[in-house]
Amino acid sequence: MIKLLNVSKIYQPDIKALNQVTLHIKPGEFVSIVGQSGTGKTTVIKSLIGEERVDAGKVIIGGWDITRLRSADVPFLRRQIGVIFQDFKLLPKKTLEENVAFALQVCGQAPKKIKTIVPHVMKIVGLEDKMRRYPNEVSGGEQQRAVIARALVHRPKILLADEPTGNLDSINTKEIIDLLLKINKFGTTVVLVTHNREVVNRLKRRVVTLDCGCVVSDQECGKYIL
Amino acid sequence: MFLSLIRVIKFSLQDIYRNIWLSIVTITILILALFSVNMLLTVEVISRAAIDSVKEKIDINLYLKSDSKKEEILAVQSKVSNLEEVKAVRYISKEEAMEKFNEKHKGDPEILEALKELNDNPLTPTLVIQAKDIDQYGALISKINEIDSPAIESRNFNDHKMILKKIDAITKKVSEAGAIISLIFVLITALLVYNSIRVAIYIHRREIGIMRLVGASSSFIKMPYLFSSVIYTFVGLLVVIVIFFPFLGLLQPYLEAFFIDYNIDIISYFSDNFLRIFGLQFLALAAVNAVASLIAVSKYSKV
Repeated sequence: MIKLLNVSKIYQPDIKALNQVTLHIKPGEFVSIVGQSGTGKTTVIKSLIGEERVDAGKVIIGGWDITRLRSADVPFLRRQIGVIFQDFKLLPKKTLEENVAFALQVCGQAPKKIKTIVPHVMKIVGLEDKMRRYPNEVSGGEQQRAVIARALVHRPKILLADEPTGNLDSINTKEIIDLLLKINKFGTTVVLVTHNREVVNRLKRRVVTLDCGCVVSDQECGKYIL
Repeated sequence: MFLSLIRVIKFSLQDIYRNIWLSIVTITILILALFSVNMLLTVEVISRAAIDSVKEKIDINLYLKSDSKKEEILAVQSKVSNLEEVKAVRYISKEEAMEKFNEKHKGDPEILEALKELNDNPLTPTLVIQAKDIDQYGALISKINEIDSPAIESRNFNDHKMILKKIDAITKKVSEAGAIISLIFVLITALLVYNSIRVAIYIHRREIGIMRLVGASSSFIKMPYLFSSVIYTFVGLLVVIVIFFPFLGLLQPYLEAFFIDYNIDIISYFSDNFLRIFGLQFLALAAVNAVASLIAVSKYSKV
């Protein structure tokens, strides 16, 4: 599903964010990428959504080599990958429902289909009662649920979660991780970037550890080792 | 395509409404800019009218002999009237000239006393000639010089030539200065509007980034901002039109009082040239806004 082959990324002047990283993620896997701040975790996510271009190596998603992706093709890539961030990234002047619908509107979905899909995904994430609220009118956990709902509208085969629980308390963290597990159960490949030891240890799934831009550990049923 | 267009319009209107204060600030800057441009245009029209009115006041006086026969005077008047450059010819008799002289110098007893001592009316009858076109004065003067009649006493027009030359020079300088000031002003206005739109989009940079993130294409991100800028321009221009005409209505009586005997109608000027003036302003400002929007959105919507 996801292949990183000898990927390197250098930020000017000479910061090696990724150094010869090779990683294979199979379809339906739930993989946690862990490591301390500045070890290249977010760079992996950015290179997978076409936000950063790698300097060396290859990035392949579902057989599509996106290493030298043209700017015009980036929107098409992003419509096929769900992404969740720590800072939610919701449009503040749109309601939660409009935020979720927007992801469908940008790719020209028919209004009728949007009206069917949006309430459905909002129900999956448990926000069916708060659809018409604005982001600042709900809690952080609920905002993150809305982001997950937005990521799910395209029925993506891959869901990338970059520190999705970084701004949440332990109860909300558990709820979000449970939601990610539920999504993974449906067959979606989930890549979770985190430095939350408790979350990783509780998951008992594959753990890839990065240090100084290199993969230092890759365990099938791993733990947070740093 | 049609669906995308509908969505672009919907997002644009939604954005204007939900960011109402930012929209009001942007429109206010546009109104100020447009009002200033129209004020500059008004000043230009008035200054042109002022120069034309001064030029119109420069009549050519053809002095006739006091003892001329009526037929001779009428013959000269007829010859002058038939010239194609002549707008009007008025005969002023000796008596009428004296009346006007007395009226003009009624506050100057010394001159009136001196006139009385002459015991006779020293003034001559005159033909006051007005040209159709101020630019044809030269041709008119040379044609009047060609008229031969025993009734003509003098035809010295050199002073007029000098005055006309000076006025033409002033007109040219005023036009040049006006053009330079207008150009500077238009540039400042364009920069002001450009900056205002860029600030508005800078505030939206996070939103633009999020749009990119969920897979919005570049055109889908840019179009609502372009549409908003056209709406801002349209609303701004509409407000300026609503404000400007009553303002001209207030100005008109003062202009009429200032330019006595000269027909200046600033409201008619703006009404007659409505489409040309406001249409051009709309196109120019919408273009500046569109360019500013495109540059700003491109900057913040990079992958």
